[in-house]
Amino acid sequence: MAKGIRWKFSGISAALLAGVLSLGGVMAQDYDPNATLNLATNADPTLNPWTPGAVVESNLINTIVFDQLVRYNKKDLSPAPGLATSWKVSQDGLSWTFNLRKGVTWHDGKPFTAEDVAFTFNDVVLNKKLGGQNAGNFSKVKNVEVVNPSTVRFVLSAPFSSLPYYLAYYAGILPKHVLGDAENPLQVASFNKKNPIGTGAFRVAEFVPGSYVRLVRYDKYWGGTPKINSIVFKIVPDPNTQMAQVISGELDFVGVSNPALLAGVERNPKLQVLRQSQNLYYFVVLNQNDPRFRDVRVRQALLYAIDRKAMIDSVVRGYGTIATGPIAPLQKAFYVKDVPQYTYSPEKAKQLLAQAGWTPGPDGVLQKDGRPFEIDMPTGQFGYLVPATLLVQQYWKAIGVKANVNVMEWNAYIQKMFVNRQYEATLAWWSTPPTPDVTPYYASAAADKGNNIPNYKNPELDKLLEEGLKATGVQEQVLTYRRLQRMLAEQLPYLYLWYPDIISVRNERVGGMADINTAAAFQYSSEWFIKR
Amino acid sequence: MTAYIVRRLLQGVVVLFLISAVTFLLINLAPGGPTSAVSLGRTAEEREAVLKQYGLDRPVLVRYFDWLGGVLRGDLGKSYNQGLPVSSLLVQRMGNTLQLALSALALTALLGVALGVLSALYKNRWPDHLISSLATVGMSVPAFWLGIVAIIVFAVQFKWLPSSGIFTVGQEFSLWDRLRHLAMPAGVLAFTLMPNVIRITRSALLDVLTSDYVRTARAKGVSERVVLLKHTLKNALVPVIAILGLITTVLFSGSVVVESVFGWAGLGRLAIEAANGRDYPVILGVTLLVGAIVVVVNLLVDVLYAAVDPRISHE
Repeated sequence: MAKGIRWKFSGISAALLAGVLSLGGVMAQDYDPNATLNLATNADPTLNPWTPGAVVESNLINTIVFDQLVRYNKKDLSPAPGLATSWKVSQDGLSWTFNLRKGVTWHDGKPFTAEDVAFTFNDVVLNKKLGGQNAGNFSKVKNVEVVNPSTVRFVLSAPFSSLPYYLAYYAGILPKHVLGDAENPLQVASFNKKNPIGTGAFRVAEFVPGSYVRLVRYDKYWGGTPKINSIVFKIVPDPNTQMAQVISGELDFVGVSNPALLAGVERNPKLQVLRQSQNLYYFVVLNQNDPRFRDVRVRQALLYAIDRKAMIDSVVRGYGTIATGPIAPLQKAFYVKDVPQYTYSPEKAKQLLAQAGWTPGPDGVLQKDGRPFEIDMPTGQFGYLVPATLLVQQYWKAIGVKANVNVMEWNAYIQKMFVNRQYEATLAWWSTPPTPDVTPYYASAAADKGNNIPNYKNPELDKLLEEGLKATGVQEQVLTYRRLQRMLAEQLPYLYLWYPDIISVRNERVGGMADINTAAAFQYSSEWFIKR
Repeated sequence: MTAYIVRRLLQGVVVLFLISAVTFLLINLAPGGPTSAVSLGRTAEEREAVLKQYGLDRPVLVRYFDWLGGVLRGDLGKSYNQGLPVSSLLVQRMGNTLQLALSALALTALLGVALGVLSALYKNRWPDHLISSLATVGMSVPAFWLGIVAIIVFAVQFKWLPSSGIFTVGQEFSLWDRLRHLAMPAGVLAFTLMPNVIRITRSALLDVLTSDYVRTARAKGVSERVVLLKHTLKNALVPVIAILGLITTVLFSGSVVVESVFGWAGLGRLAIEAANGRDYPVILGVTLLVGAIVVVVNLLVDVLYAAVDPRISHE
């Protein structure tokens, strides 16, 4: 192994120092060490971040209970130390060495060691038979070696410059001494549904199925004693009820799935409405197995035809910005705005389609070789998908393209669109970790069966994606990913619609919560406090 | 009578068997799969691994007889998405549903019959009009809307009642605390179910009040109180018991809407979550349980008929 490249933390330590200084202003008497923070989740969680099916209802709780090797920097979401204090990558990009934090203990008092990290990856994540949630993010990891009790080495099959980002993305470390002997470590009910053991700032004290999960502070937490005594996650499935509870003070913080629910909250002086962002974008995909959509002019035309500004105003009440690519503006270091914009223009859309050989037919629908431009467009009943799809249908109709919308039950839609790829166009979204690497959603290898939903295959793009993964320095990464964004904006494998604002409502009595976004804030729960 | 009950129960077992076979086939024919495997972002490899763990790579018939064998041994299988035995999920949720259902049933029956009687006695006078307007509102208002309004009024505005949950987090058992949590969900359920009971009680009572034997009783000089309680009400009860039987089966299978709005961890919510998440073993477990409830409640209703009306006999 040649000389390693160290990842620098000077900026991060400055940020941490600033954080410590500002926290210094919070004197012991300013916050209530016996307070309880009340949060909500929409269904019974599964308290193991890798168990199949542990998703939205479980993510936030698991982020508090389980630590990850890496966390997001609270300022810009770049990788920052978690259970690992520092890391370096070999020159060939195939070997990453992580130095682990010393003196960390599990909630049962046992020491945390490199063995736990090796177990989590070798026996759980990389064990393909288990089909772990998010396990596919680590497909380039061959195995994890224990170098010594406080050092591990990730051995890769191909360069993976985004590894630290993924290690901060729902990648909690599991205890070997508890789960090591289990036949399937992801299906131990006494752990997942009752008494999980993590190293996080809070441990699970009580789990009443269907009602709530109560966490209490872990006094021996490596990051210092948490400032809140307990956190209760109430299981409240109805978003209207969650909103009523935050207004009545029964909840301190809720995520808001629909901006329409904010009425009555915005004027409440006790409540703060947070507008944050996340790496999330809505899009329309045109199935590339359909030859009509392989013509880039057709893809561009179909995006020119959509008035995205109006869509954002009506569908999400203005809580969003027009998307230009898969890398959201909050990734400040990588995001480029200087790419083709496709500002709403039905005229340009018609011109481009005419160039591609589509001419108006007798009934106003465009046609080519005697066949009308009709698109089979299934959609699922979930969030904004149906209203947004119907708008796209109208915009396309205005330029002579007929979309046949078929509204389906959500799970059936996933089966049809995602598993079987039986669609010609459809509207969906991706939520990804804040890494500039987008290989899983764009690589030719991920077409037809992976997350490359449009089944887009472009060797040039593959090369660029690989270059990004090989880039060892941040500067090199930035240059590659800027080129990548330009190529995507020109080629439009996905028609980018909007980046939604992530809205949450917080009671003003809660302090110390990082403002960048929820995913990052929950990695620093030991810093939260309740004002007296 | 015993022979009748045994025969009905045996028929019930056959019914349950048919229900299980039809449900098993239908849910397997429905598109989609368990959310732990079939969801946005799950790769083909992950999906196949998980489906294999659940044994979903085997033919439907093999799976059905496997499941049926388990049921006969008392094993309802394990939830895909929760990872817990179906029986333990059912027991947990059934307990909560029973609390809510029995409270709502008591409210519905007592208030419904009382208001129905009042309505009949004051036929076409203002109490009757008031009660039937109330019944019309209860019948037409959607439960989820009423629930939200109740929360806004009683929990947000006046802060008299908690807006969701079964008991206060971390508190010792207290009957008062339980009742406070029950008040809104049980009240909303009762309000929306009561109109049927009111209407049926009213019309049944009016029928009986104009019958010959009531006229005879009155002519004999029997007091109005005795006429009402002894001669009329008992005879008017048969249709009321029928409607209460129907309401009971609805309540015992869990009210999806009210349970979701008030965060009440009952059977209805379990069923809807299982259906949305294609959690086949849970769907089947709930279906069997609810099927059994319907069989038993119907039997009870038939037995009760005979008890109140000697003309009905099951011999």
